[in-house]
Amino acid sequence: MSTRTLALTMMMAATAGLGSPVALAQIKAAAAAEKPSFKVPRTSWGDPDLQGVWDYRTITPLERRPEMGDRELYTDDEVAQLEGRAAKRLDEAPDTTVQTNLVHADYLTDPGRHVDESRRTSLIVDPKNGHMPPLTRDAQQRQDKATAARAANGAAPGGGRVDSYLDRPLYERCITRGFPAAIMPTLYNNNIRISQAPGSVAIVHEMIHETRVVPLDGSAFSGVRSYMGESRGHWEGDTLVVQTRNFNGRAGFRGAGVNLTMVERYTKVSPDRIDFRLTFEDDTQWTQPWTIAYFMRPAEGELYEYACHEGNYGLRNILQEARDAEAAAAAVKH
Amino acid sequence: MSRSTASASAVCALLCLAAHPSVAHHSFAAEFDANKPITLHGTITKLEWINPHSWLHVNVKNDDGTTTEWMIEGATPNTLLRRGFTRDTVKTGTEITIVGYQAKSGAHRANGRDLILADGSRLFMGSAGTGSPDDPKGAPAEPAEPAEQ
Repeated sequence: MSTRTLALTMMMAATAGLGSPVALAQIKAAAAAEKPSFKVPRTSWGDPDLQGVWDYRTITPLERRPEMGDRELYTDDEVAQLEGRAAKRLDEAPDTTVQTNLVHADYLTDPGRHVDESRRTSLIVDPKNGHMPPLTRDAQQRQDKATAARAANGAAPGGGRVDSYLDRPLYERCITRGFPAAIMPTLYNNNIRISQAPGSVAIVHEMIHETRVVPLDGSAFSGVRSYMGESRGHWEGDTLVVQTRNFNGRAGFRGAGVNLTMVERYTKVSPDRIDFRLTFEDDTQWTQPWTIAYFMRPAEGELYEYACHEGNYGLRNILQEARDAEAAAAAVKH
Repeated sequence: MSRSTASASAVCALLCLAAHPSVAHHSFAAEFDANKPITLHGTITKLEWINPHSWLHVNVKNDDGTTTEWMIEGATPNTLLRRGFTRDTVKTGTEITIVGYQAKSGAHRANGRDLILADGSRLFMGSAGTGSPDDPKGAPAEPAEPAEQ
């Protein structure tokens, strides 16, 4: 089914109610009127061709907002309202009389201005309620312990210890964004480049400019652990399926790390859309696997380098601020 | 000209946070003081077009006639490029007003939350279009003047 048909189907389902025979007939008629199904182009060696720079900006939230209740899809009015608000944030002057902890005004960020074309009210498609599944009992205990430890350390919100650069988060240090964080829609750098060769695929993430090389040769996982994990891929029909595991746990996601397995699915559904799905599996963390989905579209222009280290004054400044604060406190004592 | 303390008003915790899909690259709280809002007026002396954030250097004239050079943290160059700005868009000598928050230590450093040019337009905010691929108006023909995130 093409993206357009999908969107149309979902829109009709949202407005007419799927159970109605009239609605179903309309949907079928719309699908039939659509041009013949899309044939995925091939590389010269015969694999489905997914190559290019792909943009996954979206203002659709990871989890369904409480006010949406059980509703899977946004209405036309809600889409217009959300996108209108996003455009306002990006295109209009902010209210500078309002205090905020934002480093920059919204117009200096690049999170996109559209809800996902599926119109779903959350990126999470499984569980159906649009929320991450509950933590396991052990994971909940680990999380409670970590929260208590942070509170006991007296860590400032967003701060944490600042005794050394080693205390600071890996992202702040420009070392890694980690996976899957590197492919979750965020404030900017929401782009990847897919390059293919016989037997392998490379996925370059603009954020922190990290590359994952995915062998398609059926080879076994080596077991070597890293920030971005170890990936193996294969084709299921026209869908590229990438399994990633063997994370070192130092750039984890919401408490999951060494036991996490990620499964990505890339399916080209039209010349300019990839249906992307990402499943999180870690039975030491969540009570069930969960999946997010969004459409990627061609980026305008190239992937830009993100040489994060080159001018990371922020890290130096944060350490300097902490030393200055200590010196000031010591001066008061004497 | 001078550095004045902007009027701090209501904290908009929910409103502001809800607008953001994620946190910024680094901790605001570890570097800047949310209780030290400042407004600076000055002229740009240098732009560092570097990752992960660009930096504007601005000469600010103090009330006693002396001049202080401030460093203002701006947006990431990738974002700015996509909005149609380049390092050449900002010219040395351009007058600018910066609304932001000062470094906690009181150093002459601040984040550039909002960057306003003499004509009232925003640095890096296109007037004819945002330069976004999603923007039907397309890239701004003449970017107002530039800067960062």
